[in-house]
Amino acid sequence: MNKTKDRAWFALFTVPLIFIFTTVVIIPFIIGIYYSFVKWDGIPANPKVFVGFDNYVQIFKDERFLASAWHTVKFTVLALLSVNVLGLVFSLLVTAKLRVSNAARTMFFMPNLIGGLILGYIWQFLFTDAMEFIGSKTGLGHIFFNWLLSPQFALYAMVVVFTWQMAGYTMIIYIAGIQGIPDEMMEAAKVDGANLWQRITKIIFPLLMPAFTICLFMTLSGAFKIYDVNLSLTKGGPNNATEMFAMNIFNEIFGYGHYGLGQAKAIVFFIIVAVLTLTQVAITKKREVQM
Amino acid sequence: MKQVKKVFGLLTATALVAAMAGCGSANNNASGSSAGSASAPTPAAGSAAPAKEKLKKISIFQSKVEITDALEALAKKYTAETGNEVEVWGAAGDAYMTQLQAKLTANQGPTVFSVGTGAQADKLKSYLYDLGNEPFTKNIAPHMELKEDGKVVGVPYGVEGFGLVYNKDLVDPKNVTDLASFTKTMEKLKADGKNPLSLSQEAFFLIGHILNTPFALQPDPKAFIDKLNKGEVKMADTKEFQEFGKFMDVIKANSKNPMEVKYDSQMGDFATGKTAMVHQGNWSYSMLKDFGNMDAKIGMMPFPLAGNNKIAVGVASNWVINSKASPDEIKAGEAFLNWLFTSDTGKNAIVNDFKFIPAMTNIEATKLDPLSKAVYDATKSGQTIPWATAYYPSNIVVNDLAPVAQAYFLDKNMTGQQLLEKLDAAWAKAAK
Repeated sequence: MNKTKDRAWFALFTVPLIFIFTTVVIIPFIIGIYYSFVKWDGIPANPKVFVGFDNYVQIFKDERFLASAWHTVKFTVLALLSVNVLGLVFSLLVTAKLRVSNAARTMFFMPNLIGGLILGYIWQFLFTDAMEFIGSKTGLGHIFFNWLLSPQFALYAMVVVFTWQMAGYTMIIYIAGIQGIPDEMMEAAKVDGANLWQRITKIIFPLLMPAFTICLFMTLSGAFKIYDVNLSLTKGGPNNATEMFAMNIFNEIFGYGHYGLGQAKAIVFFIIVAVLTLTQVAITKKREVQM
Repeated sequence: MKQVKKVFGLLTATALVAAMAGCGSANNNASGSSAGSASAPTPAAGSAAPAKEKLKKISIFQSKVEITDALEALAKKYTAETGNEVEVWGAAGDAYMTQLQAKLTANQGPTVFSVGTGAQADKLKSYLYDLGNEPFTKNIAPHMELKEDGKVVGVPYGVEGFGLVYNKDLVDPKNVTDLASFTKTMEKLKADGKNPLSLSQEAFFLIGHILNTPFALQPDPKAFIDKLNKGEVKMADTKEFQEFGKFMDVIKANSKNPMEVKYDSQMGDFATGKTAMVHQGNWSYSMLKDFGNMDAKIGMMPFPLAGNNKIAVGVASNWVINSKASPDEIKAGEAFLNWLFTSDTGKNAIVNDFKFIPAMTNIEATKLDPLSKAVYDATKSGQTIPWATAYYPSNIVVNDLAPVAQAYFLDKNMTGQQLLEKLDAAWAKAAK
């Protein structure tokens, strides 16, 4: 009796979710795999021609795709570092019992409440007009110029905006982790003569590992899949120098009308993201310690 | 540790809620439109609409950013006059084709939308409803209708033209007739502290339109493009294009980098006299009028490539009906287009609010702005070159040509001839 009741409850909570997950994730995903084996321009009235693994072979001959893969890797590495370093520094700052820490916490988190698209447009203005203005006023024209016009600096501009958006979010997670560390332990360490650096590296970091796992996972997958900031800030330009994975796939499908090829790219993209994030989670999970 | 887990749980919950909120709003859109269409067909719900059957609510999606406001206002007037509802979706500019295609493929296509003449219309052929039986198609000016397989499928927005829009106080068209005089004028304007000629970073304003001139000057532009697609000719080896390269070098050497200019700042600087010329079309007048009346000061002249003395005129966009919409929606779409092209309110809006140069015989063009008048006069006297852009491979300007042009304008050492070679390479890839 009790068991059937449990089952009913279980079903009540899981069945709707399983249904939604199946219809909006699993089924489209399987259809997507099918599309990756056909040549098709995306217009339902036109024929789909089965081409086997042709699309996958073509991907690796597509210079633009390989270039965009390289940009994405560069972007992800830079973003991963800057977001987490800044997030961690922020969290250490605002948990340091300063008088302004509450206000600072709010301010740091604020950019995350603005959507990526809007952030991109705000920063586009900053890079185009404000940077140039500063450059002409201070004479530091080689640092303060329109970054969006330089193929190299446009990528850095994206890192800046992404960091601005995500650092506050990771900060919150790190704060939660830091607050979970008992005060007695820190005090005991202090009494034993551990200095600040030793306390951070020997106590805080190991105990923060669960937070690292989450933050690294979120920034890694977020940076890899970035599209909104990319679209509003640079549109992939100049000369495709900041075209990330997701944007390349979108352009392949909707710009060139190569549905099959774009789907094949999306599958490859999925595999790469899955492998990378799973590896990362496995590595950091191993280093988590229990108190 | 427990506390940590709790906080994480909370975070996860927040993330879930956020995700669901995201899905929720998307659902709302979809259900909003389906709810609208579900309730509409029941004839005359309530006391309103006494005799006439209320038509289904339709949606309009079109490419021209300039007329979005006017179109929304017109939709309200339409509802007031006929009781039928029209929803106008925001215009998308450069991204129009990609968005349209995404919507059509997902079966959430608009009822009435716009397509460009040529490659764009060919691509979406299966979505174009046959308008041959509509009364208003009889009024389309000769050879201006959009045809697929011999059937009339689209009604032109109007004719449009582009060339060099110039400020009469700063430039005399007599001094801009060929490469030598063009160069001299540019250098003189630059010395005077003006930006002599401004392009802007949008794909069509950066390269798409200006590249039309060398194509249009070929004896048979369409045949030339066919040969280009097959790789039988190269831009870099063709005389008109080589001169085009030289023109681009002059523009790059004397003008503000177009990559730093957007359409609105381009027109703003032109309106305030900081820029002497812009390569633009009559549509840009709607931006200029926001800066006050300058009708006496502006004019349009041909881009003087190889002594060219004609402006480029063509039909950019056509109204079409989505043949995959439901029969009720198609009927409502027909009613709207019919109203647009035959009622006084509609005709008036086309000329006075959209500022189109009509391509219909039943609409009189009066009170045209100076740029439209230049196009209208050129059309009447036949002093025009065609729009070869319509026959470019689909989407090539945004996808392939614009990145090359961006590289050209950002790299100081790249010459016009190198630009042509890169354009050839990009074209070969796109035409595959």
